Amino acid sequence: MEKEKIDEGLNRREFLQLILGASASLLLTPKEAFLRTSGQKETGLKVLILGFDGLDPVLTRRFMDEGKLPYFKKLAASGSFLSLRSSIPPQSPVAWANFITGTNPGGHAIFDFVHRDPKNYLPVFSASQSLPAKHNLKLGNLILPLSGGEVKNLRKGRAFWQILEDYDIPATVFKIPSNYPPVETKQRTISGMGTPDLKGYYGLFNYYTNEYKTVTEEYGGGGRVHDVFVIGNRVEARIPGPNNPFKKGNPETYVDFKVFIDPVNPVAKIVYQDQEFILKEKEWSGWKKIRFDFLPTQGVSGICMFYLKEVRPKFKLYVSPINIDPAEPALPISTPDTYSRELAKKFGPFFTKGLPADTAALENDILDEKEFLAQDEIVYQESMAMLEDELRNFRSGVLFYYFSNTDQRQHMFFRLIDRDHPAYDEKLASEFGQVIEKTYQQMDKALQMAMEKVDRNTVIIVMSDHGFNPFRRGFNLNTWLLQNGYHRLEPGARPEEVTLFQRTDWSRTKAYGVGLNALYVNLKGRESQGIVEPKEKESLIRELAHKLEQIVDPKTGERVILKAYVSQDVFSGAYVNEAPDIILGFNRNYRISWNSPLGNFPRELIEDNLQKWSGDHMSAPEVIPGILLSNRQVKLENPALEDVTAGILALFGLKIPPEITGKPIF
Amino acid sequence: MWWLNWIVGFVVQIILLPFARMNPWMGMIVISLLTALLMLFIYKKTSNQAGIKQAKDRIKAYILEMRLFQNDFKTLLATQKDLFLANARYLAYNFKPLLVMIVPIFLLLAQMNLWFGYRSPQPGETFLLKVRFIKAMEVDKLNLDLEAPLGVVVDSPVLRIIDENEADWRLKIEGETSQPLVISVNGERYLKEISTARNSLSRISTVRIKKNLWQELLYPGEKPLPADSCIQKIELVYPEQRLVFLGIKFQWLVAYFLLSIIFGITLKGWFRVEI
Repeated sequence: MEKEKIDEGLNRREFLQLILGASASLLLTPKEAFLRTSGQKETGLKVLILGFDGLDPVLTRRFMDEGKLPYFKKLAASGSFLSLRSSIPPQSPVAWANFITGTNPGGHAIFDFVHRDPKNYLPVFSASQSLPAKHNLKLGNLILPLSGGEVKNLRKGRAFWQILEDYDIPATVFKIPSNYPPVETKQRTISGMGTPDLKGYYGLFNYYTNEYKTVTEEYGGGGRVHDVFVIGNRVEARIPGPNNPFKKGNPETYVDFKVFIDPVNPVAKIVYQDQEFILKEKEWSGWKKIRFDFLPTQGVSGICMFYLKEVRPKFKLYVSPINIDPAEPALPISTPDTYSRELAKKFGPFFTKGLPADTAALENDILDEKEFLAQDEIVYQESMAMLEDELRNFRSGVLFYYFSNTDQRQHMFFRLIDRDHPAYDEKLASEFGQVIEKTYQQMDKALQMAMEKVDRNTVIIVMSDHGFNPFRRGFNLNTWLLQNGYHRLEPGARPEEVTLFQRTDWSRTKAYGVGLNALYVNLKGRESQGIVEPKEKESLIRELAHKLEQIVDPKTGERVILKAYVSQDVFSGAYVNEAPDIILGFNRNYRISWNSPLGNFPRELIEDNLQKWSGDHMSAPEVIPGILLSNRQVKLENPALEDVTAGILALFGLKIPPEITGKPIF
Repeated sequence: MWWLNWIVGFVVQIILLPFARMNPWMGMIVISLLTALLMLFIYKKTSNQAGIKQAKDRIKAYILEMRLFQNDFKTLLATQKDLFLANARYLAYNFKPLLVMIVPIFLLLAQMNLWFGYRSPQPGETFLLKVRFIKAMEVDKLNLDLEAPLGVVVDSPVLRIIDENEADWRLKIEGETSQPLVISVNGERYLKEISTARNSLSRISTVRIKKNLWQELLYPGEKPLPADSCIQKIELVYPEQRLVFLGIKFQWLVAYFLLSIIFGITLKGWFRVEI
């Protein structure tokens, strides 16, 4: 049936609506009925973990040697500074899941940002799944859910704070990736990367302009351009919200707003609902509440920021993705659910979307570098304020605190420190070439604050999930499979026009690539139209892995894939059978292309990456390890993420559960 | 009108001023209690107490009659008619005291809105100043200027909305001030009170209007602008204040009516008032 749909021409937007739109109906998820508290034990020992996403050991070492990270240096001098082995593949959701569970992807079942549904070969989010209400009452156009919907965290395995909870050891876990929705616990946790915006996307901005402009609505995010007219110094438009689960067809909700522009001054007033505020040109509004009504008595609250980019000659207004309002969360984002409300009460609205800074807006030239950094600076300042508060209240147990700035800025600004990058720009480099260095220095400030606020007996661990390297060239895996006869299209299909495998002839296809590092064979009995016999699988995988490792980029003479990992060889645990068959470990400077992960077949096998998203971490993990610093001596020579988990449990004298494969680092 | 507002305002100020630094609920409880006493007094003096008692007795009797004769359809119908008439009589007895009460209540509500309706912005917080002009004015052709006292910063250039005959500014509080804002329109100066009070309960006038009986009743916080003023209304868009009880936020009007009714019902026996 799904195949029929694809044949009928399921377009990209329809597909996104299909998999994401359902999240709106989850808004009726029953809330916790009673308050809960975290572990109560006074442990004496305190363990503080600062998680800086993507902090690279090479850059860290360099900046430390140059005296730019004095507190990193101080911490390293008092204990250890090592590279930290990342996951296979070294993508954040996978890597942090390794840390959370103390095991490898075979034990936690997160193998990539994107998995595939073997029934229809379509990509699905790996981290969470939205399930609509099971029973509904239909009255004409109205749909009244008789039960709550559900959001499921697809990560398996127990989180380390759940194990600590067993021993009544308190833990606060702040925005750790791969924990949306937060797993059941009495500890204080708030979800991070993986948390969607109110529409169910990973971030969908809105841009209102009377200038011709197009942007991409990417898989799980991106943005929408709204053509507007400035009539009599007034603009009228609407902000799209979540789909309405109470109406037939789940139509999109929206909020109308008006913008009044001064006839001369570069200033405008924005009016909607009970909100009314003035913005000067090039000014951010700060957080504004917005409410989307489903029925007169039912609706959801979100928060967003407005940025008045230009008043004239062209009108340009950016509205950030609508974040879940932490004061009235429509979806589960914290445990206990009062935790996000507590934070909102103390600090006002704050970023709840998993990847807070809007990289898609920068990528699409909606925000320029300076504007993007201004937005991400708000993220940083929010994080610092909340860290200070958490440190002040840190009395016992474990505090994990996460920073996203390092990851997002390195993704977007690597092109300006890498002269050989196809998107290198001399002028921009002179202005923004220091961004990454300054970001590392900001993390040093965070560490300084932590070191000054905790007592001498506190164990401090600074870690990152992976490092970074330039993303200069993109590899089209599906094109390679097509060119080498492992993937077949229907007769007459033009490969470059195919998306989401819509013209694939599965009866002749042996392998396909979905996700950022993943390759699957079209296995009989597993895939709905599988043709590879189970007995042939092993040899096919070995053949593919061998051939992939031989691919050389004719432009550079370098190998594209350093290591093609066969899942059965590198993973262990209960979920190995759910893993992709091969995980691609790219060489430095290489990554999967932009189009291949979603079942597309671009013409070029390897192409220059001309985008602003220019740094990445999809290489073989040995190319881009993370960092591990601590004020304690680390006894392992080559520690991995899961060893840190075991180390934390060991510090409290707890027995390491057998499913944890890591060895204690201390 | 201004003098009447001034007198009512003075009385309310005398009542509430001692509670300026306390939890706003204290002032609300006291003023609700005093209102209940005033209403009971007016009700007792202006209503036909004997008539009300008789009407209520009859209503009770008819209800009893309906219970007793519930199997007698003809009697039941007749009793229902009598009950309806007794109810109407009861409402008619209430009409006069309500009519008398509505005047002081309205004046009081307008004053209480000044005390409980809004809060001063915090230092660093921004808010809007909106100036609405009379229809004859062409806002884009006016020479407008705004002077803010020390402690208040004009945070944006003027924004003129021609269709709405309005000019807005964004202001920011940086410290305390007791001086007014000065709006100059073609050289003519208009003042607007601005509150930066940090008290938990303080009198905040957010609106100054042009002389007009009805508008003056609604916005009694400041002396109205002259009748020939080119400005219709000056408004500060302050954050609304809520009274919090057990984590629940109450709009002041809801809290006031609930408390007044509770006090009124509780005290009516003591003062022998038939309601």
